[in-house]
Amino acid sequence: MALTIPRPEMTFAEKAFLPEIVKGLAVTIGHFAKALFRPETLPVLNYPEIQPEVPRNYRAKHRLMKRPDGEPRCVACFMCSTACPANCIHIQATESADDRIEKKPAAFEIDLLVCVFCGLCEEACPVDAIRMDTKVVALAADSREKFKVGLEDLLSWNPADYPASDTQSQKAPGGTLNEQARKEWGLA
Amino acid sequence: MIHLDLPFLMQCAKFLLAFIPLCLIPVVIFLERKGASLIQDRFGPNRANIPLLGGIRFFGFVQNLPDGIKLFSKESFIPKGAHKAWYLLAPMIPMVIALLTPSVIPWFAPMVVEGANGLVQVSGQILDADAGILVLFALSGLSVYGVVLGAWASNSKYALLGGMRASAQMISYEVSMGLSVAGIFLLSGSFSLTHIVEWQGANPLHWGIVLQPVGFVLFLVAMFAETGRAPFDMAEGESEIVAGYLMEYSGMRFALYYMGEYAHIAIASALVSTLFLGGYHVPFVGTEALRANLGQVAAGLFAVFGILCALIAYAVRRWQRIYATRGASDVLDRKREHGILFGLFSLLALAFFAAAAASLVGIHPVQTLVAGSPGWPLWVELGAALLQVGVLVAKTLCICWVFVWVRWTLPRFRYDQVMYLGWKVLLNIALLNLLATAVVAKLVKG
Repeated sequence: MALTIPRPEMTFAEKAFLPEIVKGLAVTIGHFAKALFRPETLPVLNYPEIQPEVPRNYRAKHRLMKRPDGEPRCVACFMCSTACPANCIHIQATESADDRIEKKPAAFEIDLLVCVFCGLCEEACPVDAIRMDTKVVALAADSREKFKVGLEDLLSWNPADYPASDTQSQKAPGGTLNEQARKEWGLA
Repeated sequence: MIHLDLPFLMQCAKFLLAFIPLCLIPVVIFLERKGASLIQDRFGPNRANIPLLGGIRFFGFVQNLPDGIKLFSKESFIPKGAHKAWYLLAPMIPMVIALLTPSVIPWFAPMVVEGANGLVQVSGQILDADAGILVLFALSGLSVYGVVLGAWASNSKYALLGGMRASAQMISYEVSMGLSVAGIFLLSGSFSLTHIVEWQGANPLHWGIVLQPVGFVLFLVAMFAETGRAPFDMAEGESEIVAGYLMEYSGMRFALYYMGEYAHIAIASALVSTLFLGGYHVPFVGTEALRANLGQVAAGLFAVFGILCALIAYAVRRWQRIYATRGASDVLDRKREHGILFGLFSLLALAFFAAAAASLVGIHPVQTLVAGSPGWPLWVELGAALLQVGVLVAKTLCICWVFVWVRWTLPRFRYDQVMYLGWKVLLNIALLNLLATAVVAKLVKG
């Protein structure tokens, strides 16, 4: 049976159309005046020159965390590539030089064109080695190959770009807490 | 040998007035783009710039330039099966009409000039016809011919549909348009536009908009339909018939249609101002009073322009701030550009205020003897005419803004709604308005 939805009855002013038009015109001229004299209230940006504010917890391009000596923190356990629903993470493991650690990645490749930015790799990592907090959201390159980022790219981040409260990032070469971390590790 | 006396030269100079709507085209396009974007809470065009002038963008006004270059350099495609001659002829018609119609609009009050053969009256229109308004209606009715012809010649079903709609809409709204101004003809007792303006006088309480408010609204709506703009853009109908009559046109032929549309808006606005907003009259100041108090009136108008420029300069300051506070990468360029614009408009405002002060102090017209009888010297009459042209253009721009404003406020009508509104609503209201006007006029005037 068809469901009849009763339409609200229009008042005479609404049927006459003109008063409603005047109301609409008042709305639009309000927007016009506000935009003209208070442009900072507009919800748009002059994009390439003014970049949007990306929150730190936004799932952006990946990075690999570093140990105090600059080695990748990754232990090549394949947890992230197993968790990845898009199968975009490819790892080659090799023996670690550090006798406390079994393996390290010889190659770590993420295909950013295939990645769905779900963040499951972050969740899966047992050593907090992979993070997606770079704020790099505008990915652009002139060939598909350049979207396959490797170990070098993933490790080339600057601790100065991360807040002091992010102590993990500061305990890497170039970070403010690197000295302290090297002492704790007995690397001095 | 042709004797080049003053009235003849002035008749020739008046032909320049025909280019006023043409000059208004880029202004109206700019108004449309910026108005649309600001109403929709966005920035609008602001990228095109002139590198030679310090990368100045002028709020997107410069955008007209690359658009023109693009349309000039684009191929003007002629579709297979199109009727070549008509296809090439059709886009010219709206443009030709846009150039012809301003000839009957009175741009300033008639003035008396001493020529070789005594005193000659120089009127404010190029074609001083008693049936001026009828000429104008005939011409603007003809502009749809260009649309229909182009649509038919294009050999495209969408274009043909657009053309059919345009003609149907024109027929429907021409009727109520004519009837809605009939009240004005009835009250003023003339078809001559100069006479209608003189009858309205300088007092805004005696303008057509006050005496014929229903007629004004009807005429405005009919003009929206005539110019084929949203909410009545049936002929273009981009949501149903792609681009309507413009479908097969490209390059400069498309641009002719496009500019013809905007010129039509400018002329329609000038007509609305002439019929309902006192035409060339400076509000509250009649022609004689204007000539006698030229300095004071000019000062007042200059002060208004000065305030407008100051407002624009203030808006420029506000717009500059967003680049600085949001950390734009081109902040220095924008700072320099906005600095130039701010300086420009501040200087303009100051210049207008200075001009106001100067004309208040320096302009004191004194009546002289012109051909034996007291009259105004030529420079006073020319100055008054200049002010009146300026005032009419300002009124025209205000109505143009109403066109833009309404377009970006109202959603489009469906085709059957347009027909319903035209035949069943507007026509009846126009007839009733005419009847009521006739009865009241008879009772009041006797």
